[in-house]
Amino acid sequence: MNFRFGKTAALVASSALVLMAVPAIGFASASTASAKPVYVIGYEGPLSGGNAQLGINMKWGVELAIQQANASGKLPFTLQAAWYDDQGSSTLSPAQAQAAVANGKLVAVVGPAFSGATKAAEPFYANAGIATVSPSATAAALATGISNNNFMRVVYGDDVQGSADAKFLVKTHSAHNVLVIDDGSFYGSGLSAVVATSAKADGASVSTNSLPETSSCGGVASATEYSAAATQIKTSNPSAVFYGGYYCDFGLLLSALATAGYTGTVMSGDGSESSSLITATTPPSAANNVYLSAAGGGSGGNFTGKLETAFLKVSNGVTSSAALYAPQAYDATNVIIAAMVKAKLSGSLEIKRIAIRDALHTITYKGITGTIAFQSDGNLVGSGAGQIDFYQVKTGVITQVGHN
Amino acid sequence: MINYFSSHFATLGHEFWGLLVGGVANGFIYALVAIGYTMVYGVLRLINFAHSEIFMSGGFASFFLMKWLIGSSTPNAFESVIYLLAGVIVGGLAGSAIATVLERVAYRPLRRRNAPKLAYLISAIGASYFLFNFAAKEFGRINLSMASPFVNHTVFTIMGAPVQMSYIIIAVVSVIMLVSLDRLVATTKLGRSIRAVAQDPETASLMGVNIDRTIVMTFVLGGFLGGAAGYLYGLSFGVVYTMGFTPALKAFTAAVLGGIGNLRGAVIGGLLLGIVESFSVAFVNGAYIDVVAFAVLVLVLLFRPTGILGERLGRAA
Repeated sequence: MNFRFGKTAALVASSALVLMAVPAIGFASASTASAKPVYVIGYEGPLSGGNAQLGINMKWGVELAIQQANASGKLPFTLQAAWYDDQGSSTLSPAQAQAAVANGKLVAVVGPAFSGATKAAEPFYANAGIATVSPSATAAALATGISNNNFMRVVYGDDVQGSADAKFLVKTHSAHNVLVIDDGSFYGSGLSAVVATSAKADGASVSTNSLPETSSCGGVASATEYSAAATQIKTSNPSAVFYGGYYCDFGLLLSALATAGYTGTVMSGDGSESSSLITATTPPSAANNVYLSAAGGGSGGNFTGKLETAFLKVSNGVTSSAALYAPQAYDATNVIIAAMVKAKLSGSLEIKRIAIRDALHTITYKGITGTIAFQSDGNLVGSGAGQIDFYQVKTGVITQVGHN
Repeated sequence: MINYFSSHFATLGHEFWGLLVGGVANGFIYALVAIGYTMVYGVLRLINFAHSEIFMSGGFASFFLMKWLIGSSTPNAFESVIYLLAGVIVGGLAGSAIATVLERVAYRPLRRRNAPKLAYLISAIGASYFLFNFAAKEFGRINLSMASPFVNHTVFTIMGAPVQMSYIIIAVVSVIMLVSLDRLVATTKLGRSIRAVAQDPETASLMGVNIDRTIVMTFVLGGFLGGAAGYLYGLSFGVVYTMGFTPALKAFTAAVLGGIGNLRGAVIGGLLLGIVESFSVAFVNGAYIDVVAFAVLVLVLLFRPTGILGERLGRAA
C-alpha cells in the first residue's frame, strides 16, 4: 500500500515537473533571440569560518567587477556571480568545486582563495576544463603540481613572498637568528619553508617549529599549544619570529607572546594580513608593531577615485586598502571577462569553458594591480620585484611601510 | 635537526620552570573540565560527550558579561577582582544551566526507558552538534577575543622564569573550586548521596537517596566547573563555537589518565597532560603535541588500565 502510494506520488510529482518545465523551455528559447545569454562566474573561498574575512574581501572585488561589467552594456552576454563557500578548508573545497562544475551556466571561477583548498579542488575544475584564476592562493607548489593548465593566479607565489620576507627580517631588521613557525597547513608550511631557506641563505641562523591550526580557528589542535610555545620563545629569545599561517591562529600566538613578554620582531605573511588579526588578538594591543607581508601588488595595488567610491558601496564602507586581495579579485574577474570576450563563446558548455581557459593563457590585461599575463604554469609573468608589500600594525591599524 | 635539539636542550635549565608554569596553568583548565566527565561517569557510567558545549557556553556567557562590564574601559584593582569573580560565577552558572538542560532533555528520557548505553552516546553527540551549531548561528563563526578584567603582567619569577598574572588567576581560581568540590563531595549530605549513587544506585535509592535530584546536582556541579573553565580559557584564547572541541577531548583524556570516575584522578590527569604538552611543544615540536600526549596515555593505561588513581568515585573522594 505504502509502496503503491509512493509510486503514485512520484508519478504526480514528475508529471508536475514536466508541466512546469515546458513553459520554462518555451520562454527561454523565445527570449534568446532578443536577450543576451547569461553566464555565471563562480567564486570559491571562505565566506564563513575562522578565516572568513579574507574570503569576504575577495567576494567584494568579484561583485564590483561583475556589477560594472553588466552596467557597461558593452558585453555580448549578461554576467551573474555564484558563491561557493569552502571556509578555506581543503576538506570542504572538493564539494564546493563539484557544485561549481555542476552549475550549468558557470564558465569560469575566481579562486579558490586558500592554497590548501585550491590544491584539493583543482582536480575537479581541471576535469571540467574550468579555468580558475585565484586572487590569493600563493603556495609555490600550486603552479608546479597541476596539469591541464586550468590554474592561474594574479598574485606572485610564496617563493617570491617568502624570500622577500626573509630579506626584510635579516637585512632590513638585522635579525641574526630567526625562529620560523608554520601552522601545518599547505600554505603555511610552504611559505615557512621558503622563509627558513632564504633566511639561512641571507646569513641568519634559523630554527623551526610547527604549531598546527587549533580548534578555535577551524583546525583540531588545542590552543594551549601557544602558551608553551611562547614560553619557549621568550627563553630562547630569537631576534625575530616568522609565522606562516592565517590570522586567526596568529592572533592566538601573538596573545601568548605578549603574555610571555617576548619583545623581538614578529612577522607573518599574507594569510595574516587582515584587520581581523587585531580583533583576534587578546588584548588587541598585543598585535602592535607586528610586521606583515602580502603580494599586494605594490603601492599601486588599491582602488582610487570613482572605483574606490563604487567599492565602498559594495563593502559597506571598508576601504580597499583594508580589504586585502579585493583588488586582486577584481582583476581576476576582469581578466576572466576579457578572456570570455576574446573567446567568442559558442558551442556546448564544456567547449565554452575550455575556450575561456585557453584564451586566458594568451591574454595580456592591464589591471589595477599591474599587467596580468600568465606563464604556462599559471604564475604571473615577471620576477615580482616591487610586488610584495610590507605592513606594520601601528596602534591597531595595518599600515603599509614599504615593498620589496 | 640535531642542532635544533641540542640548542634547545642547552636552554633546558632556563626553560624548565617557565614551561612547567604554563603547563600547570593549562593543566588546571583540563582538570576543571575533566571533573565534569568524571562525575557524570561516576554516577551514570556514561561519557557526557556534550560536555565540550558546556565549556563553550560558559565561555560565551562570560564573554558577553565581560563585554558589558568592561567594554573599552580599564578596570581598577577593586573592579578587577569583582569582574573576575563575576566572570567565574556567570560562566559557571551558564555551564550548570546547560548541563541541567542536557540532563533533562538528552539523558533523563533515555534513563526512564532504560535505553542502552549506545543511545546515550548518540543523544550526547546530537546535543553537542545542536549546541555548537546553534552557537555558530547566533554568535558567528569567528574567534572573539574576550575583554580582560586585569592587565596581564609578570608578578614574580621562579628560578628566572616569569609567572604571569593570568597563570596565577587560573591556578588560584582552579584550586579554590577543586578543593571546594572535593570537600563538598567528601563531607556534605549531597556529597554522600553522590558517592552512594556512584557506588550502588539501587541501594542508595532504598536508603532514601533521591536519585533524580542527585544526578541533576552532579550535572550542575560538573557543569559549573566546566563553564568556569570556559571563562578562564576564553580569557587567554578567545571564544568561538568550536572552542570546546579539542580542550574537552583533552580533558576527557585527562579524566581517563587519572582514572575515570575519580575526582582527584581527574585533577592529576589534567595537570600531567598540561605539563606533558607544554614540554613536548618546546622540546619535540608543536606538531607532535598530541602524539606525545596520547603516547603517555597509552603507556599509563598499559601499566594501569584503570588510570593513575583507579576508577572509584565512591571511595576516592
